[in-house]
Amino acid sequence: MAFAVRLEHLDKRFGRGARAVHAVHDLSLDIGEREFFTFVGPSGCGKTTTLRMIAGLEAPTSGRIWFGDTDVTALPPQKRDIAMVFQDVALFPYMTVHDNIGYPLRIAGLPRTQVTEKVEKVAATLGLSDKLGQKPGQLSGGQQQRVAIGRAIIKEPKVLLMDEPLSALDARLRVEMRTEILRLHRELSATIVYVTHDQVEAMTMSTRVAVMDQGRTLQIDPPRVIFRRPADMTVATFIGTPAMNVIPVAVVTTPSGLAIELLGRRVPVAPRHHAALQGLERVEAGIRPQGLRLVPPGPDRITGRVFLREPLGLEDEVLVETADGTRVKAVTAAGDEFGEGAAVGLDLAPRDLCLFHPDSRITICNSLD
Amino acid sequence: MSRVQSLATFALLLVVLIVVAFPFYWMVLSSFTPREALFQPPYRFFRLDFSLGNYRELLFATEFVRFFFNSLIAAVGAIVLNVIAATLAGYGLTRFAFAGKKPFAFGTLFSYMFPPMLMAIPLYILFSALQMRNTYTGLILAHMAISLPLNIWLMWQYFQIVPLSLEEAAWTSGASRLAALRQVCLPSARPGVLSVAIFSFALSWNDFTFAFILQTDRHMFTLPVGLASFVEQTGVHWGMVMAAAVLVSVPTFLLVFFLQRYLLSGLRATG
Repeated sequence: MAFAVRLEHLDKRFGRGARAVHAVHDLSLDIGEREFFTFVGPSGCGKTTTLRMIAGLEAPTSGRIWFGDTDVTALPPQKRDIAMVFQDVALFPYMTVHDNIGYPLRIAGLPRTQVTEKVEKVAATLGLSDKLGQKPGQLSGGQQQRVAIGRAIIKEPKVLLMDEPLSALDARLRVEMRTEILRLHRELSATIVYVTHDQVEAMTMSTRVAVMDQGRTLQIDPPRVIFRRPADMTVATFIGTPAMNVIPVAVVTTPSGLAIELLGRRVPVAPRHHAALQGLERVEAGIRPQGLRLVPPGPDRITGRVFLREPLGLEDEVLVETADGTRVKAVTAAGDEFGEGAAVGLDLAPRDLCLFHPDSRITICNSLD
Repeated sequence: MSRVQSLATFALLLVVLIVVAFPFYWMVLSSFTPREALFQPPYRFFRLDFSLGNYRELLFATEFVRFFFNSLIAAVGAIVLNVIAATLAGYGLTRFAFAGKKPFAFGTLFSYMFPPMLMAIPLYILFSALQMRNTYTGLILAHMAISLPLNIWLMWQYFQIVPLSLEEAAWTSGASRLAALRQVCLPSARPGVLSVAIFSFALSWNDFTFAFILQTDRHMFTLPVGLASFVEQTGVHWGMVMAAAVLVSVPTFLLVFFLQRYLLSGLRATG
């Protein structure tokens, strides 16, 4: 794959001695041409630091950064073919919308008439044509973010960097702008590197996602793979709403092979996973709320009581307390017969269960089938 | 507030106003009073014997114009160099980490506490050796020695409220550090720049100590020193001294009048 950006053993530490923070651990990856690549993770996981190193705003402690076959590690941001959209918008308050969007071109020394021509074109694609004479302070949050995006795309950078561009917007605008950014990605031929803590943004927009936690990269894969085959328990619980249920289970040997004891029910494990479970007495079992079905209680089923029910519209989120006091979340059709307090059974398919190593948290298998 | 209370407040303010404003009024009035009428009783608060005689004498019979010009050069020089130096230093203090930054910043403020006289004498020796006495450069540098520390401190504070991401947005747009400072940072710190300009002007324009010690050549006198020399040499020609005082306050008055809007917004930003 032709790559636009390559990170090679990137490492970043802030401070020295005992108070040093290891923000990014030995990160290596390739970002393809025209890819929409997203770094996602909780705050403090190192995703913004990584983006700032790609931008040249932060120097890596060690490692190299390549744009195509150019080593840009030592280059300042001005000398890299990038543009960046900032979390706090960072529009120049004293300039009009026109001058804000046109700023990169004016810096590049383009004549005024050409700048205006391009600004008008960019403003038209972003629906800002009637705002060009205004100052950023007069615009709404969504419009301001559009201006910031306009300023970033006007010089047609090879790599467009976005640092949580939507986090300051309200929920409705966020969804709207998501579509807008996707459309721009399709229209521009730029590579987009995107940073967010919002897994929904990451999953819906990206061609590939890197999940980070505490400076380490846990998994780099397309969204579907991240969801279906998470590399470890952290990824599994971070991605997906509502979060995956994780329940400690015992591994038991039965006449027909290995099985797990899940909330009082025995679930067989397919023989192909037996080798991986060798020597483990306890593992963590994960199941997404969507994989648990509410059924009438009966023998041979996990049974419990509906503890809490949250209506979401088409579906309800249900918290079920099982016989041994474990609480698990399930998603079910809105307003079905199991109200709060009702006795309920839980049905599941072995292929929806995944197992994690109790110490390393690494995924043992993504299905018991 | 009751009517009595507000009347009392008003009366008090009126008294204060008279105390503050009367000297100015008397200055302007005396400057327009002919020499021979000035010390003739009765001394009235209102006089109508208006004359430009004092001004004519001041402008054509003395070196007032020369002094005024010298003061202006020193003040403009102090403003320009202070703004440049304080901006760069303040910016450096906010945006760069370097060894001894804190001591430097506090040392800066500490050096502002020295009385001018304490610095004027070493400067006299230094400038004598460098042959910089009786030069504009020397005087401007001396004036900067007293105004720059506070100005650096001021700009440091102002740049701290300019978000770093504004500059980073400029850098990632392709702007150099200096271009970003000029086009993005400075407009946001404009009240600070104006405060620096006014403070530099005021210190330079009003300085007596440095000019008196460093500028021994009468041709290089600034206004405060020149005015003092009127008192000594020609007897005290009060009408003319008052006329000079009026002309000296004009630039200050104009500067404050036109910049007060920005100054006030600046005070709000720091307060």
